[in-house]
Amino acid sequence: MIDFHTHPVMIKELQESDPELARRIRDVFGFFFPAQPLEGFLLEMDEAGIEQAVLLPVDCTTAHGGAVVSNEQVARLVEKNSRFIGFASVDPLQPDAPRQLEIAVRQWGLRGLKLDPALQRFYPNDVERAHPVYQVCAELSLPVVMHCGMSWAPLGQAKYAQPLMLEEVIQAFPGVNFILAHFAYPWIHEATMLAIKYPNVYLDTAILYSGTPGDAMQKVLGEQVGLHVVERSLWNKIVFGSNYPRIDMRRCVRGIRSLGLKPSTLQCIQYENARQLLGNGR
Amino acid sequence: MKSIVHRINLQTRHETEMIDITPQVLSLVAGSGVQNGTVFVLSLHTTTGITVNEGLPDLEKDITEMIQRLVPDGQSYHHARFLHSDGQMAVNAPSHLRGALLGFQVFFPIEAGAVVRGARQTVYFVELDGPQYRTFVVQIIGE
Repeated sequence: MIDFHTHPVMIKELQESDPELARRIRDVFGFFFPAQPLEGFLLEMDEAGIEQAVLLPVDCTTAHGGAVVSNEQVARLVEKNSRFIGFASVDPLQPDAPRQLEIAVRQWGLRGLKLDPALQRFYPNDVERAHPVYQVCAELSLPVVMHCGMSWAPLGQAKYAQPLMLEEVIQAFPGVNFILAHFAYPWIHEATMLAIKYPNVYLDTAILYSGTPGDAMQKVLGEQVGLHVVERSLWNKIVFGSNYPRIDMRRCVRGIRSLGLKPSTLQCIQYENARQLLGNGR
Repeated sequence: MKSIVHRINLQTRHETEMIDITPQVLSLVAGSGVQNGTVFVLSLHTTTGITVNEGLPDLEKDITEMIQRLVPDGQSYHHARFLHSDGQMAVNAPSHLRGALLGFQVFFPIEAGAVVRGARQTVYFVELDGPQYRTFVVQIIGE
C-alpha cells in the first residue's frame, strides 16, 4: 500500500536541527503538538499496513519566507529510508523555480512536485509564473500533487485552490499527471468532473473536514460522488492519501476499507494507481 | 521526607499494546533509598492507561480485546473533528474512552525498601493510540 499524501513535518530530529523550520511548521503550516522521533513515522506506516509514503514539502518562500521542509531535507529523509518517496516543491513566484525543480530532480533524486497554491498564494493558471514550472514537469515526467480546496494551514487561502482554475492547465499540459488533493473539498463535483473527463487528472482520498476518515469518505465517495461512479469511472483515477500527520494513517486505511468497494478497485486505489503515477507501472 | 520524580520515555510500536514496566518501577524504588513510603506510577497522556494485572500474554490479549469490545471503533462519537489547538483531526475518541476506563495511575506502598505488591501483580503501561513516543512518571515519596 502506498500513501500518496504525507508531510514530513512533525519529525523531532528534523525540527531540532532547524529551529526556523520548526517555527514555520508551527506558525505557517499550523501544527501545534509535540514532534515525534522519525522512528514513529515508520512505525505508524507499519501499523497502518503502508509500505511506502510520498513525502510532500511546500516551498512558500515568497508568501511566508521559506519552505515547510526543503527539497534537500526531503532528499535526506529518503536517503535514510527507502520506504520514503520524496517529492519536491518550488515556489512559482520565484523566478528560478523551474531551475530549482530541475535541481531537485537531477541532484536530489526527487520524483514529483507538490504545489500548494493556497499557502504559496499563486493562481495555478498563471501562465507567466506557473506554466514554466509545469513545462519542467512535462519534460521530466513528474507527477504534480496539487493542493485543492480548503486548507487547514492557518495562512492558507482557498481562493487560490479552486479546481476549475486548473482546467486550462490540464489542457495545456496533457502529458503531466495532476493529482488533485483532498478531492478538492468542498469543490468535490468540480474535481470529480475533471478526473472523469481528463486522462491526466487524479484525486486523492485525504478528505479532512469533519468526522472520522470513514465518515468523510462515506459522505464524499459514497454519497456525493457515488460508489457506482467510483467503480465505473474513477477506479483508476484515485490514489490513497492520508495527509499524515493532520490525521493518523491507521484510521484513514480503515476508512477507505469501510466503503465496501470491490477488492480490485481497492487494490487500484491503495497501490496500483500510485505505482502507475510514480512511473513504475509502465 | 523525600519526593523523587522520574520521567520515563518509551516508544510504543502498536496501536494497542500492553507494556510491562514493573522492572523499571522496582528498580527506581530500590535505587531511591526510600525505606517506607509510597510509589506512584502515572501516565502523562490521555490516550494511554496504567493498570495492574497478572503478567500473562493471554490476559494481555483478553484485556485489550475487552476494552476494544467495550469501546468499539466505528460508533458515532462527538470527538471527531478538527482540533485547532493541535492542527490535526481529533478522531481518536475510542482511545480516550478506553483510557478513561483503565485509569491513568496506580500506587503501591513501600515497606522496608521494597514495593508491596502481590506476587502476580504486573504494572502495565497501556498504549491506546500508538505508535507514539510516550512518557510516564514514577514518583517515590517517603523516608
